Amino acid sequence: MSFLEVFQYTRQESIMHSLDPRAKLLLAIVLAVISLLFLEIFPLLIILAVLIPLMAAAKSLRRWLRSMKGLSVLLIFILIFNTLLSTYPNPLNYSIALVLRLIALMTSFSSFFLTVQPDELSQALIQMRVRFEFAFAMSMAMRYVPTLGQEAYAIMDTQKARGVELDKGNILARIRNIIPIIVPLIIVSIRRALLIAESMESRGFGASKNRTYMEKLSFKKRDWAVCIVSLIALVLVFYIRLYIPLPDWSIPL
Amino acid sequence: MPLIEINDFSFKYYGAETLALKKIDLTIEAGEYVVITGPSGCGKTTLCRTINALVPQFHRGYIAGNVVIDGKNTREHTVAELSSIAGLVFQQPENQLVTLNVEKEIAFGPENLGVEPAEIRRRVEELIELFDLEHLRDKHPHEMSGGEQQRVAMAATLALKPKILVADEPTSNLDPKSAEIILDFISSLNKRDMTVILVEHRLDLVSKDAGRVVLMDKGSIVADGHPRKILSQDICQDIGVGVPKATLVYKRLKEHGIDLNSVPLTGDELAGLVKEVSSL
Amino acid sequence: MIMMENVSFAYDGLYTALQGVSLQIDDGEIIAIMGTNGAGKTTLVKHLNGLLRPNSGRVIVDGVDAQHYSVAELAREIGLVMQNPDHQLFLDSVEKEVVFGLKQLGFAEDEIKERTDRTLSSLGIKDLSERSPFTLSGGERKRVALASVLATEPRVLALDEPTIGQDARQKEKLADMLLELNKKGRTVIVVTHDIEFVIEHFSRTIAMASGSIIADGPTSAVLSNDEVIRLCSLTTPQLTQAARSLHTLFPDVHERLTLLSELEDEIVRILGGV
Repeated sequence: MSFLEVFQYTRQESIMHSLDPRAKLLLAIVLAVISLLFLEIFPLLIILAVLIPLMAAAKSLRRWLRSMKGLSVLLIFILIFNTLLSTYPNPLNYSIALVLRLIALMTSFSSFFLTVQPDELSQALIQMRVRFEFAFAMSMAMRYVPTLGQEAYAIMDTQKARGVELDKGNILARIRNIIPIIVPLIIVSIRRALLIAESMESRGFGASKNRTYMEKLSFKKRDWAVCIVSLIALVLVFYIRLYIPLPDWSIPL
Repeated sequence: MPLIEINDFSFKYYGAETLALKKIDLTIEAGEYVVITGPSGCGKTTLCRTINALVPQFHRGYIAGNVVIDGKNTREHTVAELSSIAGLVFQQPENQLVTLNVEKEIAFGPENLGVEPAEIRRRVEELIELFDLEHLRDKHPHEMSGGEQQRVAMAATLALKPKILVADEPTSNLDPKSAEIILDFISSLNKRDMTVILVEHRLDLVSKDAGRVVLMDKGSIVADGHPRKILSQDICQDIGVGVPKATLVYKRLKEHGIDLNSVPLTGDELAGLVKEVSSL
Repeated sequence: MIMMENVSFAYDGLYTALQGVSLQIDDGEIIAIMGTNGAGKTTLVKHLNGLLRPNSGRVIVDGVDAQHYSVAELAREIGLVMQNPDHQLFLDSVEKEVVFGLKQLGFAEDEIKERTDRTLSSLGIKDLSERSPFTLSGGERKRVALASVLATEPRVLALDEPTIGQDARQKEKLADMLLELNKKGRTVIVVTHDIEFVIEHFSRTIAMASGSIIADGPTSAVLSNDEVIRLCSLTTPQLTQAARSLHTLFPDVHERLTLLSELEDEIVRILGGV
């Protein structure tokens, strides 16, 4: 599960962190699309050579490496099996490219999630005309995820203290033992939701169609720069893909 | 005209077997500090919610009678309309902090009501200073202690500039020191003309600052008056309310035929009164 | 008898919750554990029934290292009632909840019926036995959770913050029940903030701060120490405050911790009672 670390926001001061989330969203999508255009090793390596400095710009290189380490087993698995089972002319090549593409895709999206605070994301969505209730529901879900996690652990502890053995028995027994965990979790969550609703209602939630926002996101010069560069890069890469033949850099098997 | 007027008000939640509130008559003037107490299930929580119209607008049920807050009848006005008149602080801070940092939390209320962004920013800064939250400004609720969370919750409620603060057992989950800090804040708010309604079990902490104690049992008000008058009555112990220990000593002394000149609410007051009597 | 020998524990290997904690709890004691949130009280209690295992040091139950026992095995001896009853209620009747706890620990059918009835009666919730716990009030749910653990009659009963949100009468009933259990020879351990509750009912108090035990001994000694009060984020109870104020006015009044009856007697003495 540690590979998920690269999708978790961390509060930091970096160039990437200071960009507008909408610019970063465009960047991430463009990078992902570019990654999907290629299945050859050379271009993918170039893409990664662009992505890794991006991770560094987000001051998250170490996180990225840790996540990759966590993913390494899966990646090697993909590599081996695809090499053995592939019907492509040069299976090893193909498999390596697949793995590189996977890494590129993950890194593209992680550049977004690592550097965008859930509140910023919610604000970005609102300014992109998503309805407030939906955007807020999303950021609230993120806010309460750690709380829910703690609650789940507390429930497990409580039931274990009554003698429920969660890690013993066959498949059937283990599934049955989920009930004493899930039921309280659901009930507690519903109770909590009602209390949260009371607090929100008491502060006027949903009252006005003209909700205001204390801090609005606005594009700065560098955000425009990022967007323009991303779009130019996208067009260029499409052009290359369609019209320019690539040198064959395959690894002979 | 009193700020809060509850007239012959009764309420039964949908699906409940008994009335949560039975013919409540309660009038509260602006600037009062009222403590509401009583055994579990006496209706004090429901009563809190009638003041900002959560009952009957959010919690549906059968109602009789009227609740008029600052001239507005809660049957006819929404919770949102009342949110800038009566602010509610609840027991669990975790369920009141819905955003990811303090600034956003305090801004939440005013944003909902369409207040100008510059004004919201002004209020946020004011409240951060008032509640000493500067060092918590960017923190996630999870990174704060219960006492800090509750301070943020109070700031977020006050961002709507209500005239009335209703707090429903705000210190239950806090350690005694944090509880004291919160109650001191509430008391100082009252000194600045905020009308305060506080539901609290720990009468030893609040009775010295409160101007009035309202005792409830089984949905009705059974006593209403100055703390010194109410807490020395037997009814408190009869219904199972925790009277300050100093007051209990006063009552026991009466049984010995010793009459202190007034009812003490704190240890120091008790000592002072004993000294007075001894030098007679 | 439970012993903790120099137990240290850190959550996720990072957040140190216990540092070198050592203590001994003999059978039949009644003990309060106090301290700020985060001082390690709940962490300590979770080591007693194996929910948490020490990173270093040992927990010894009746002469055997607890690590040889599973949590389920320890649950027979040490019953832990957690703070939130909603974390354990999941069946559709109060009776089934109590029966569940007994079944988990392997009690026989006929014993289960008898124990369930007895426990529900002793907590005054026999008439609720067919009701769904989810429809009960907060206080009633707390009692159901308590019943579920009590029915197994563990030798050691540990409760985490049982007085939160309880009114005075409920606290009295709880205290009576705990004292009665203690009289029957059970060891009772309560983690709490409620200093007046502790002074009135517990002969021994363990005070914790920052993961260590800062005081362990007779309640009157431990809780009359101002430093302990400060480090545990407690406030001086009214009766002690009264005793201290009286002491400055009447130097022959003892200014240590006092019970209601003691203060009453002192004042009567001062004023030359009728």
